[in-house]
Amino acid sequence: MTESTERSRVAGGPRAADGREWEVFVRPATGEPARHAGSLTAPSAELAHEQAATLFGDAAGIWLCPASETVRFESQALGERAGEP
Amino acid sequence: MISISKLLCGLSAAGDGLRYDDPSDVEQIREEKQRRPVVVWNVTRACNLRCEHCYAGAEPGAADGELSTAEGRQLLEDLADYGVPVVLFSGGEPLARGDLPGLVGHAADQGLRPVLSTNGTLLTPERARRLRDAGLAYAGVSVDGLRATNDRFRGREGAFDAALEGIEAALDAGLKTGLRYTVTEHTVDDMEGVVDLLRDVGVDRFCFYHLDYGGRAASEADLAPEGRRAAVRRLCDLTREYHADGEEIETLLVGNYADAAFLVEYAREHVGEAAAREVYARLLRNGGDPTGERVADVDYQGNVHLSQFWQGYALGNVRDRPFGAIWEGDSNPLLARLRERDQHLTGRCADCRYRSVCRGGSPLRSLATDGDPFAPDPQCYLTAEERAGEPPIGGGEPAD
Repeated sequence: MTESTERSRVAGGPRAADGREWEVFVRPATGEPARHAGSLTAPSAELAHEQAATLFGDAAGIWLCPASETVRFESQALGERAGEP
Repeated sequence: MISISKLLCGLSAAGDGLRYDDPSDVEQIREEKQRRPVVVWNVTRACNLRCEHCYAGAEPGAADGELSTAEGRQLLEDLADYGVPVVLFSGGEPLARGDLPGLVGHAADQGLRPVLSTNGTLLTPERARRLRDAGLAYAGVSVDGLRATNDRFRGREGAFDAALEGIEAALDAGLKTGLRYTVTEHTVDDMEGVVDLLRDVGVDRFCFYHLDYGGRAASEADLAPEGRRAAVRRLCDLTREYHADGEEIETLLVGNYADAAFLVEYAREHVGEAAAREVYARLLRNGGDPTGERVADVDYQGNVHLSQFWQGYALGNVRDRPFGAIWEGDSNPLLARLRERDQHLTGRCADCRYRSVCRGGSPLRSLATDGDPFAPDPQCYLTAEERAGEPPIGGGEPAD
């Protein structure tokens, strides 16, 4: 059995002031896995893709996930280390 | 940042070590920290003004999701652990946060150099003293023109006078204080008056910002290349005139690395060939546009940006993992390309003789106008003759 790393759930809440925040996943070539490549702010998935295309134009694939729908469990979450629930 | 006063007049300042690997004769920011970025932390989006050019799109009232005091203290510890030399508290208006002195003090306790960017209007004598006691190293107060221009630009009558009162409070508290000025079509005619204001209010540092195209700052408000060149030339002239009169003002150019090339050309014209080569050598060590390398931004919600102006894209969020882990993210293809951008520059930048001291200028402006962060910076004002030929000294590649 694999040793388990302690993780805590990162507090939710907004990550953009205006519009929606989208987590960006980029697949460099068709045979490669997609990697997280940051996030961007856009009002819709289509506009988010347009923006991502200017930053990662040569990618084989771009996936966009609403940041507000992403549930994160991290081993070094800031709130946990800062002593906040 | 490019220091006109250092490069053309030999004035030493505390930032020379970061900008030119230059030990100088003024106490320097520690050498081992020079390879980590200066971090701008927008502690809040709230602001009591509504400036035309605000890159943060600040509004009255705090927005949802601000880092708490405890999170902010932990962030500062993470920045110190990573070796960040300077943290610039910005906003919104950072003084809108009541816990600012405590955060500044915690930064200083961690060995960070805490500095402040403020509109000055909330900087009362009591707050200035508390910030001084907390260890604040510098306060930069934004003044974007003389009274009428500044107040129109900032969206509130009385903002100019309130900023001057804030500067007076900072000086009375013994804080090192400077003026920050952003050049646009609306402010350019007041530049000389703002420089003269240094003498009137008793500060000795002037930071001249070019407009970057983030938040409410749009290219439509920007200067045309000829006007920009004239403004930078005039600031060089003024700096030399002040120094010739024995007034050692520090003048800095921020946000457009065509200025680096222009300073070499200016030095050649006014000081001589040997001086121009020395200016070029220092600018090579400076390293050109710092986006994604020597400057970083953490916004009030914890998003890490490539620069304070590039708020629409984030590398990650400090609520998920420490700043250093995000900044070292070599699997991010955009970050990787920015850090080797000499290989990706296009158009007239690709064979410009000054590409090693400019590195294409602002990728955000290029993205905003051309949809390509590696396209030429629309603010470049160099002539074709200036861009052509070999670099001023051999190789033309950065020192490291």
